[in-house]
Amino acid sequence: MAILRVGDLSKVYTTRFGGNTVEALKNISFSVEEGEYVAIMGESGSGKTTLLNILAALDKPTSGEVLLNEKSLLSISEKEISAFRREHLGFVFQDFNLLDTFSLRDNILLPLVLSGTNYKEMERRLKPLAQRLEIADLLQKFPYEVSGGQKQRAAVARAVITNPMLLLADEPTGALDSRATDGLLQLFTQLNNDGQTILMVTHSIKAASHAKRVLFIKDGEVYHQIYKGTGTTDEMYQKISDTLTVITTGGERR
Amino acid sequence: MNKLFYPKLAATNIKKNGKIYLPYILTCIFTVAMFYIICSLYKNKGLEGMRGANTLITTLGFGVWVTAIFAVIFLFYTNSFLMKRRKKEFGLYNILGMEKKHISKVVFWETAYIALFSLAFGLICGMVLDKLMYLLVSYMLDIEVTLNFYVSGYALTATLLLFCAIFLLIFLNSMRQIHLAKPVELLKGGNVGEKEPKTKWILAILGFGCLIAAYTISITVENPVAAMSYFFIAVILVIIGTYMVFTAGSIAILKLLRKNKAYYYKPRHFISVSGLLYRMKQNAVGLSNICILSTMVLVMISSTVSLWIGMDDILNSIYPKDINITLREVTPQNCEKVERIVEENLLEKNLEVQNLQNFSYLSFSAYRDGSNFKVAEDSDVMTSVSSNNFIILNFLTAEDYNWLTGQSAVLDTDEVIVLSPDREYTSDTLTVFDKTFQVTSALDGEEIGSQSAFDTYDVVVQNAQVLATLSDLQTQNYGELATDIYYEYRFDLDTDAQTEIAVHRAIADDLTDADMGVYIQSRENSKSDFLGSYGGLFFIGLFLSVLFTMATILIIYYKQISEGYDDQERFQIMQKVGLSKKETRKTIHSQILTVFFLPLVTAGVHIAFAFPVIARLLRLFNLSNTMLYAVCTLASFLLFALLYAVIYSLTAKAYYKIVSSKS
Repeated sequence: MAILRVGDLSKVYTTRFGGNTVEALKNISFSVEEGEYVAIMGESGSGKTTLLNILAALDKPTSGEVLLNEKSLLSISEKEISAFRREHLGFVFQDFNLLDTFSLRDNILLPLVLSGTNYKEMERRLKPLAQRLEIADLLQKFPYEVSGGQKQRAAVARAVITNPMLLLADEPTGALDSRATDGLLQLFTQLNNDGQTILMVTHSIKAASHAKRVLFIKDGEVYHQIYKGTGTTDEMYQKISDTLTVITTGGERR
Repeated sequence: MNKLFYPKLAATNIKKNGKIYLPYILTCIFTVAMFYIICSLYKNKGLEGMRGANTLITTLGFGVWVTAIFAVIFLFYTNSFLMKRRKKEFGLYNILGMEKKHISKVVFWETAYIALFSLAFGLICGMVLDKLMYLLVSYMLDIEVTLNFYVSGYALTATLLLFCAIFLLIFLNSMRQIHLAKPVELLKGGNVGEKEPKTKWILAILGFGCLIAAYTISITVENPVAAMSYFFIAVILVIIGTYMVFTAGSIAILKLLRKNKAYYYKPRHFISVSGLLYRMKQNAVGLSNICILSTMVLVMISSTVSLWIGMDDILNSIYPKDINITLREVTPQNCEKVERIVEENLLEKNLEVQNLQNFSYLSFSAYRDGSNFKVAEDSDVMTSVSSNNFIILNFLTAEDYNWLTGQSAVLDTDEVIVLSPDREYTSDTLTVFDKTFQVTSALDGEEIGSQSAFDTYDVVVQNAQVLATLSDLQTQNYGELATDIYYEYRFDLDTDAQTEIAVHRAIADDLTDADMGVYIQSRENSKSDFLGSYGGLFFIGLFLSVLFTMATILIIYYKQISEGYDDQERFQIMQKVGLSKKETRKTIHSQILTVFFLPLVTAGVHIAFAFPVIARLLRLFNLSNTMLYAVCTLASFLLFALLYAVIYSLTAKAYYKIVSSKS
């Protein structure tokens, strides 16, 4: 079953006085099945972030539709959108976006607290999660006291503690060193093996090579896609890098 | 490089940072103007000549010092805030290749511009407003003024010297801040990874202890003389206590709240408790400053206004009649002589004695001991003055009492009537010098003797013989400090102030010639002295209040702005994590509201607890109308709260602009 369906999505930015228009996304269509791990790749300015913002209901498309579990994101009212986002989507950002004023524990619990979950239930969910993400000992620490990798793991914990339908990750490895990157990607694979649907936007080949499927976006359009199938991560890496070479040097489509 | 590069860059910098520099420059101008005005008034020739000028000028001199000290501290504080905000900018210059000495040049020009600008405008404003202030003072003190524009040389030099020194100091401090920092630190500027505040239990408890001690002093000290000395202790305790409670106490309380999981993990409490915890660390000192300044403003305004409004009451209580004569060497001949001198003088002016009150009385101090009055051993007369039980006893005869009040009381040798306006007399007997009297009636009516800062009891005894016995006993007990029976002769005059003063002088001269220990006072004659001192206090009270209020406004404004920049990022993260815009706005709004109204509420509590002690202090100034003081306090608090709310909502706009600028 498709958990996310994007159909004919377009986004046009108009300059303030309506003089120039920029098409950030052109008729993008794709779908993500339950339990899939999809990476979206593209160069800077290809429209990745615009796409992610629309999927996260942070931005509205000019035309087209986004269906999350057969429910249109565009039909949700402004009032309910925050609660919807909080309960059905999980986010991991490049710069972690942890609040300085909270300990890691409180940062992770934030979405649950906002939804009015009772404290026992929070504890019940937090414990195994913290164990799995290897941050159980760090819960009392504050974001400025831990490393980047640890921060990102806390951010992942915050994203998945609500058991979201879809985990959206925006350049999750962008601010991490190589070791922390490896750790995070393993974690994503592990989460995916446990059934978590993940959609990741990145321009790191290494990050994308862990995904089961990679979509390439160029100039606002879906240009190509690769399935991992039964191949290894290394093979996937090679395929992606070949595709990117074609995209950057080949000029013409397909 | 172009010679004008640095001056030009400095000018652009100030323009670009207008949002934080404009209030600063306005403050500088305002402070300069205020300092010029107070200096100019202090040296004003017109005020020198008037009666009661001495106290006024002393008060103004005090005002000059307070304003100067205030100017130094305040401008310094504001500037270091500005520098903190601009660290990032300087860091960027540094990275773009400007050396620290070049940055110093830019900062030098900036400071020079601001100094020049604020001195020029400040002095112009000062000179214009000076005239206005002078008019205000002369109106308050009821003196004639000749209007002519002049520039006070003294004030000009003093202002120039002081503010040049302040700006030099500010410049040196900015240099210090820039030189100490590394470029990376400069770039990071204000938001270096803030650590979570630690709980300082001892400080918190000490802070609450200080406040409780100060409040207890205010409530329990009933004696005005003791209140005077304890008041300053209490003020210092309150200041220390406020700082401690705001810095340590608030964090301790918030951390306790956070430990309570069931309370803490609720949507509303979750964000606000942790947000406040973070805020209090950065803002505690600023908030205590606001709180203390507000308290000072309120105390000054309410007490000086009450003194000013209550001045006629005060005059009436000190001088029950227009002319008051006290004869110390009481003999029948002397009494007659006083009467004769008064009559002769009045005849000359075609005036008559009206509402005459004449009586003999014996007055001495004692202290309450249960229902009895104990007379101090002479060694502890001085220490007992500051005891809560220190009182004044006035004895007069039934004959005089009946003549004064129109009653027809008849008493036995061992019977007395007690008049106690200050506190009810409940006992059936009255014992003094081991003599016990039966109290036939205890009234809480008007006092007959003149009012004093202490609790006073008027005791009516049978006749002059009893009075004489008491006088003898008192002489034995007090020795050299004993007083005699005095003779009071006082009356009203139906005439204008000038004639009254003339009559006063004439009688005084004749009485002095007669040389029999006479003391004469008249309301009109003393009024100008009172105007000088109370009017001066009132003026200084107003002046400093305006100054402190301005400081409060500026601190609030800068707090809002820095809060805004800090919250910008947090605001966005919260929205990304799933808080709606409305919710975010609501939580942030409630936090700021708490943070900014906390000082006002605390100031209100301070004022409420300071009320008893200040009411007693005012009795030293002969203001016994506590109701008046209560009304003045309440009125000034309400006015101030209103002003505070207006300032808050205006500055909150600036805050929201910053917070929502990125999203």
